[in-house]
Amino acid sequence: MSGHDSTVRDSGPSVLVQTEDGTNRPAGGENDVAGVELFRWLFRFFYSKTVGLILILLMALLAVLGSVIMQAGPGTYDDPAKLESFLAAARENYGGWAPILDALGLFHVFTSLGFYAVVAMLALSIMACTTHRIPELWRRVRHPRVHVVPKFFDKARYRGTAPTALGRKESLDIVGGVLRRHRFRVLVDGKDPEHSLHADRNAWSGVGTVVAHLSFIIILLAFVISSTWAIEEDLAVPIGREVEVGYGTGLTLHATSFKDSYTEEGRPSDYVSELELRRGDEVVAAQEVRVNSPLEYGGFRYHQSSFGIAADVTVRDAAGRVHFDESVPMRWSSQEGANAVGLFELPGSEYEVVVVTAASGRTNSSVPAGTALFELYPLGTQTGEPLEVRLANQGQDVDIAEYSFTFERERQYTGIRMRQDPGTPWMWVGSTLLVAGMCVTFMFQYRRMWIRVDDGVAGEPGRVRFGAVSRLDTSYQRLFENIVAEVDDELHDATVQTEEESRGQRA
Amino acid sequence: MDNALELNEFILAAALVFVVLALICNLVVITGRNSRGRAPVRVRERESVVAAGSGGAERSVPPRHSAKRSMRERPRGLALYASGFTVMSFLLYLAYLGIRMSLTGYGPFANQHEFAVSFVLGIVGAYVVVEYLYRIRALSLVVLPIAAALTVYAMAQDTAVRPLIPALQNNLLLTLHVGFAIVAYGAACVSCGAAVIYLLHPHLRFRRLPAREVFDDVGYKAATVTFPLLTVMIVLGAVWADTAWGRYWGWDPKETAALVTWLIYGAYLHARVTRGWQGKRSAWLLLLGFAAVLFAYFGNHFFGGLHSYA
Repeated sequence: MSGHDSTVRDSGPSVLVQTEDGTNRPAGGENDVAGVELFRWLFRFFYSKTVGLILILLMALLAVLGSVIMQAGPGTYDDPAKLESFLAAARENYGGWAPILDALGLFHVFTSLGFYAVVAMLALSIMACTTHRIPELWRRVRHPRVHVVPKFFDKARYRGTAPTALGRKESLDIVGGVLRRHRFRVLVDGKDPEHSLHADRNAWSGVGTVVAHLSFIIILLAFVISSTWAIEEDLAVPIGREVEVGYGTGLTLHATSFKDSYTEEGRPSDYVSELELRRGDEVVAAQEVRVNSPLEYGGFRYHQSSFGIAADVTVRDAAGRVHFDESVPMRWSSQEGANAVGLFELPGSEYEVVVVTAASGRTNSSVPAGTALFELYPLGTQTGEPLEVRLANQGQDVDIAEYSFTFERERQYTGIRMRQDPGTPWMWVGSTLLVAGMCVTFMFQYRRMWIRVDDGVAGEPGRVRFGAVSRLDTSYQRLFENIVAEVDDELHDATVQTEEESRGQRA
Repeated sequence: MDNALELNEFILAAALVFVVLALICNLVVITGRNSRGRAPVRVRERESVVAAGSGGAERSVPPRHSAKRSMRERPRGLALYASGFTVMSFLLYLAYLGIRMSLTGYGPFANQHEFAVSFVLGIVGAYVVVEYLYRIRALSLVVLPIAAALTVYAMAQDTAVRPLIPALQNNLLLTLHVGFAIVAYGAACVSCGAAVIYLLHPHLRFRRLPAREVFDDVGYKAATVTFPLLTVMIVLGAVWADTAWGRYWGWDPKETAALVTWLIYGAYLHARVTRGWQGKRSAWLLLLGFAAVLFAYFGNHFFGGLHSYA
């Protein structure tokens, strides 16, 4: 039922509801609710400040859970092997709670359905709140409430009085001057222009609230754009070799050198890769890349992210044709860090190969130094039983299935994170607007006051009365008191001056 | 360099001593029976010029031709010593960090020790500003013990000077990102102090305690400083993460803890401004906010993640 309904009366066979505009319509009760009421209900639900508050606190709660409970890395839930390994670690930490936490999605809080739902509802809440608030903010600027009844000046939280022997107009002129000096906008009360003024300051600052709230939507949008369209790939570039950048760039990334430096205590002090981006034989960009100085070219950025050892492996078929001749980055470790592990797919076959070597500096490895262990798996099943396992000395061929494998040598690789993120500019736009909106909101607070000049009665002087509504606000109180005092001073000075002038004229 | 560092540790110890002295002086001023400045000095030249505060209590305004003069009461006697000791401790913390910065060549925010002392600088600095603006010494009973405890914690950490690890080798963003954090955290500590006094107010029998609502207002004002500064801190962190790690946000535990803090202060401001939450409920939210600040700060001890060096 509309909020404007005023009366219900019996009108023949059906009950009619008379609305404010005088029209009658059938009152069908629960059987006659307009479809648009659903949208109104949703709007009311989302602009509710309580709902907004609950959503903010709910998001905070989920964020706390996400920071105290161990979280699965990206892609873990898409890879059964990674997931099993992660859940095994989770069981060690949380025991019987692990399956429950997993079922609740608390091992991937920030990609869980619950988190997405809360963020989406928060975005809707912000939009509804802002939309609902705009008319009020507009009224504040264009149509402020300039008239108050005289009784207001007896009940306002902040009130002041200054005596005046001047006329109404002169008194109001002085008040207006003082208020303008304090950056107030002075408006004449149309209902009582001879006695009253309204003054406000920073009525426009509501725009800061709107901007800050909308910027939050832009930030959420940036997250959506980044998670949907960003390109991110970790490239392991063997030193002295190059890898294809891909993504239609026609570029290759060549690593000339990598150096990791340490202090005497063993703390890392520098990681630096000398990189070249090449198109064919032409070097299109070159730079020493450090953690805080990525290489930028063609919309992509290349960040120093890791480093390690790679194994150069060559695979030939029985006819001597080379099927694989690359450096395999040993990205993982096993046997409590004693072994370094790499993985590659054998092109043109249904196999993938795990390569295991002794980790650098470890003497307790099951793989002797100077050798590499090859494990052959059917494609996509490297965690099951290997089809074949062979140990190869450096430079020596070993036959596995119908192929000949050679472990050529070890070499260092540098890990470069390549990234292109169309969401980033939106993030900076949103962030800038958020900060700007907040600064406007908190630094230019909305202030208002009403002023009334009362005529003197029975020989008493007239008085200028001030009133302001506000929560207890010590800084506004200080400003209010200063304004009252300044007006008092100026009224007094003007009165003295007038008296002196009139004495001078009489003399 | 070792001698300079050793001398610097004495400066830090002296700063701690001044904080404790300021706290003792304030305690005596607030709770003492023979407070010389027992009531605000008020000059009333004209009865009719009044502004009424809450409860209709009249407030006098300064005499004519003095409206632009400060209406604040100047501290005298022990109160002056308390203010002096507080300012002195602030200057000593500043000197300590300045000397350390000149020795290391980077902003003093690179490890728990340096960040703890910077945190204390932010707290004492925020308190000095609030004391100057509001003349509310009771806040010191909460704020200064926190500053002293954090100083002791900082002294217990490894104070050796070490080169920055590669991820932190961005002097501009290190200084800006963490600089905003310490000022925001300092203001958060003051708002927490105001919330604590607000909640305890009915049980406190101090002679010179301002009205309870004043603490609600001070807590709110400090939060309106905390929130935008936290925002700038997080944005600068995102800019840095984008440069160093190639993404502006990665749900790293420290990032997430900072977001939690931001959300709690956001919730507080929304609750207070739009829901009209004042008093106890908003005071509890301020306490929760400062708990989140401490959670984000000390989280490095158990978080791990990309911020584990800090």
